Amino acid sequence: MGEKTDIWQGTLALMALKTLETMGPQHGYGLARRIEQTSGDQLQLNYGTLYPALLRLEQAGYIRSRWGVSENNRRAKFYELTKAGQRKIRKAAAEWEQTTEILARFLSPA
Amino acid sequence: MNHLRAFWMRLIGLVRPGRAEADFAAELESHIAMHTEDGIRAGLSPEESRRKALIQLGGVEQARQAYRQRRTLPWLEGVLRDIRYALRGFCRDRVFALTAIVTLALGIGATTAVVSVVDRILFRALPYANADRIVSIGLVQSLEQEEFIMGGFYFDWLDHQRPFAALASQGTMLHACDLVEANPQQLNCIPVQAGFLPLLGISPVLGRNFSPDEDRSNGPSVALISYGVWLNHYNRDPHILNRLIDLDGKPTRVIGVLPKGFELPTVETPDVMLPMKLDRAVQNKVNGGFGEPMRTFARLKPGVSIAQARTEMEPLFLHTRQIFLPPPLRNDFHMSIRSLRDRETQGVQLAAWVLLCAVLVVLLIACANVAGLMMARSAAREREMAVRWALGASRGRLIRQSLTEAFLLSVAGAAAGLALAEGLLRVFIAIAPASIPFLGKANLDLRVALFTVAISLLCGAFFGLAPALEKPRSIALAARAGNSSRHAILRRGLVAGQIACSLILLSGAGLLVRSFQNIEEQNLGIRTKGVVTAQIALPRFRYNTGQEQMDYYLRAETALRRLPGIRAVAITDSVPPGGWQDGYRYSDLATEENPHPTPGTGGTVVNRRVTPDYFRALDIPIVRGRGFSEQDRTSAQSLVVLSRLLAARLFPGEDPLGKRIQPGIYKGAWFTVVGVADNVKNSGLTEQNEPEIYFLRRSVVNDWGGRAPMMVIDSTLPPDTVMPWVRLQIASLDPTVPVEMKTLNRTIRSLASRPRFETALLGFFAVTGLAMAVIGLYGVIAFLATQRTQEIGIRMALGASRLEILRLILREGVRLVAVGGGMGLAAAFALSRLLKTFLYGVGPHDPLSFVAVTLLLALVALVATLIPARAAMKTDPMTALRCE
Repeated sequence: MGEKTDIWQGTLALMALKTLETMGPQHGYGLARRIEQTSGDQLQLNYGTLYPALLRLEQAGYIRSRWGVSENNRRAKFYELTKAGQRKIRKAAAEWEQTTEILARFLSPA
Repeated sequence: MNHLRAFWMRLIGLVRPGRAEADFAAELESHIAMHTEDGIRAGLSPEESRRKALIQLGGVEQARQAYRQRRTLPWLEGVLRDIRYALRGFCRDRVFALTAIVTLALGIGATTAVVSVVDRILFRALPYANADRIVSIGLVQSLEQEEFIMGGFYFDWLDHQRPFAALASQGTMLHACDLVEANPQQLNCIPVQAGFLPLLGISPVLGRNFSPDEDRSNGPSVALISYGVWLNHYNRDPHILNRLIDLDGKPTRVIGVLPKGFELPTVETPDVMLPMKLDRAVQNKVNGGFGEPMRTFARLKPGVSIAQARTEMEPLFLHTRQIFLPPPLRNDFHMSIRSLRDRETQGVQLAAWVLLCAVLVVLLIACANVAGLMMARSAAREREMAVRWALGASRGRLIRQSLTEAFLLSVAGAAAGLALAEGLLRVFIAIAPASIPFLGKANLDLRVALFTVAISLLCGAFFGLAPALEKPRSIALAARAGNSSRHAILRRGLVAGQIACSLILLSGAGLLVRSFQNIEEQNLGIRTKGVVTAQIALPRFRYNTGQEQMDYYLRAETALRRLPGIRAVAITDSVPPGGWQDGYRYSDLATEENPHPTPGTGGTVVNRRVTPDYFRALDIPIVRGRGFSEQDRTSAQSLVVLSRLLAARLFPGEDPLGKRIQPGIYKGAWFTVVGVADNVKNSGLTEQNEPEIYFLRRSVVNDWGGRAPMMVIDSTLPPDTVMPWVRLQIASLDPTVPVEMKTLNRTIRSLASRPRFETALLGFFAVTGLAMAVIGLYGVIAFLATQRTQEIGIRMALGASRLEILRLILREGVRLVAVGGGMGLAAAFALSRLLKTFLYGVGPHDPLSFVAVTLLLALVALVATLIPARAAMKTDPMTALRCE
């Protein structure tokens, strides 16, 4: 609990959204793996926390889900970005860039 | 927006939880399977691979938990669980739940209904702008207790007053006026000044108020019509403005429509308002210089109190009195200024307070009852609570559970109570007397509903928290029955209080019942059975001379006498025992022995102008001399009959026959006493009789002016048979004349409606209160008896007889009743003085009433105690001991 989780959750949500945008519809497991890969295996994701985050995004209307069949012929639930989700990515990405930029000025003073 | 959507989705998540859980379980399963496959492909053994997948997931159960917390609203889920649990508990213990809900419903329902009724009388603002600044101002005297002002000095007051921002007058009463159109109708008209509506802060919904020009003598004929007339007679015609209507044969222009439900400050509803057209010069001349009477209302200047206004007006009043009133009358006239609310609700304020207090006592009893019930329940569930506590439920969790239960009971009670209130209110309105203003229009409104909910919540918090705040004791976990002596003391106190409260209500109701019996059973001095009165509304513009009116009534009398079964037909201006009747001061009656009675003394005398048959029609015995005869009607003599009371006062110790009386109002004429009639009840049902004088209504025009007379018809046939015949006869004389017929019995019943209403209501509250107090008593005794089961077992094992056990339990009950009853009796004795004005023929400390209600309470309480006591007596000692 506490602030750390909040920031983590927020960024995890953005990562998930962004991944869905680049990869198209994806199931939870694939998404988790992809996030790990994208991070250069720097992130050790607790997969259990991904699902509440996805649910939250779905409840907010940024993504939607449906059952489908995976590449290995296995039944899996696929998540896919909605229009609202695309808008959210643009907004969140801009905010994030701004935040990191400001933070960078503090951390590496010229 | 997205937050709202998310909240909504989570709320929806609460319904059909099973399917979503299964869905997620499947998703997790597929996740683990995919992860495991990947592991196998990377070279791990299936077991190892699955283990790693699970580790990286962080555990299936944990994932599920996190998912569930996100999917729904956990706190709401908790509340729903509490509610479900509470409902299951109520289903198990139906008697408890039902008793609590019924008790609450009774308390809340009765309170809501009564508050709805008294709200308008005591609290609600009158329907005028800043009504608390409006006063009724004028003179009062022994014959007229409502403020009035005469036109002769009104303008002086207007010129010289200082405390008021404005004054305006209306006529003294509504008068009949005829709307002559395609369908003629008799309406109620009232003249008002142009400043009258602005003073009240009322503007017409359509059109405009009178202009000053229209309020001048010789001004144009204009009128404002009521919303009701506009709706019913003109079908809401939008072109009503400026239309000429025929009012009493005079073309009158409609210039506006009054707002819906508009009421005069005299609590009358006019159909038509006309400009008063007061003229100073005329007012100084008419009526012997006094001018015409009127009702005047005024708006206080900001910051001026009624007391200040009184002081400031006093010199003006004294001046007026000096100039206008002859010295003998001066002491009888006073100035009165009182708030509009006091004028409108004068007589009923006390009644309203009494009802309100009575119903609050009922509510108190109800709350105490429910509190007792909850305590008993919590005592019985002490073990369960202790177990839950031991299993890890937090204090907050336990309190929340208790509050949820209390809240549920309150809501159910409030809902049932509201339904009950609606029903009760209908009953109130149905039996309400006309003398209680506004009651006909009382309804349950939002404010009252909120009030109810607030009460129920308060009740809930009160009786829910008390038991919940106690920390469950670990000892309760042991098999022994809990030792809740503290509860028991509190409960005993509550029950004693309930008994005290219900005894107060009972004694009040007992007194009112006795008083009502006195009213119903008293001798009125007249025969009421088979007597019918007919009030004929003669259109004034067609029968506008005294001659025409007299002719009409005499023809009607002759026509009615032809009907079969008719014993007597009389014409009078009023009938006893109440309602409108003419009267004047005792000191207006001069006799030859006492030509100058002391002015302003002796109270009032009722006066009636009757035809000879009057005494026969009402069966009033003539105790001396004779009544009037048919021959007297055409003679030139002026005759009177006195009531026994008046005869004894005017001529003490003498023979009144042949004496002569000079009533001041007849300006010098002498009347000869021909007989003495027995006393009749003549000033309402609950007041002392007043002396009465009967003038003969002769067949000469002079005897027929003034108020429209009524016909009194006495018949041997039932009224239902006679009334249509009477109607037919009257219609045969003139089919357009409206006639209102009533049996005398019904008139008298409606006079008694006020005490009946008060008695019925207080009686209802008393019975309700008693029932609830007895339920409370039964509950606490039964509870104590159960608690002492083991003790009883031991006592019996040691040789106590069953009778001794019975006595043991009975003693508990008797003690409570004695303490509560004693307190209640003392309080009732002190409080019953407040009821004094409601009582007739019985004192506020009437011993019979007090003894009767105490006995009733004792009897009922004994039964309530005996039932559990008998149950305890039948305890099998073996079973009782095995409980240990």
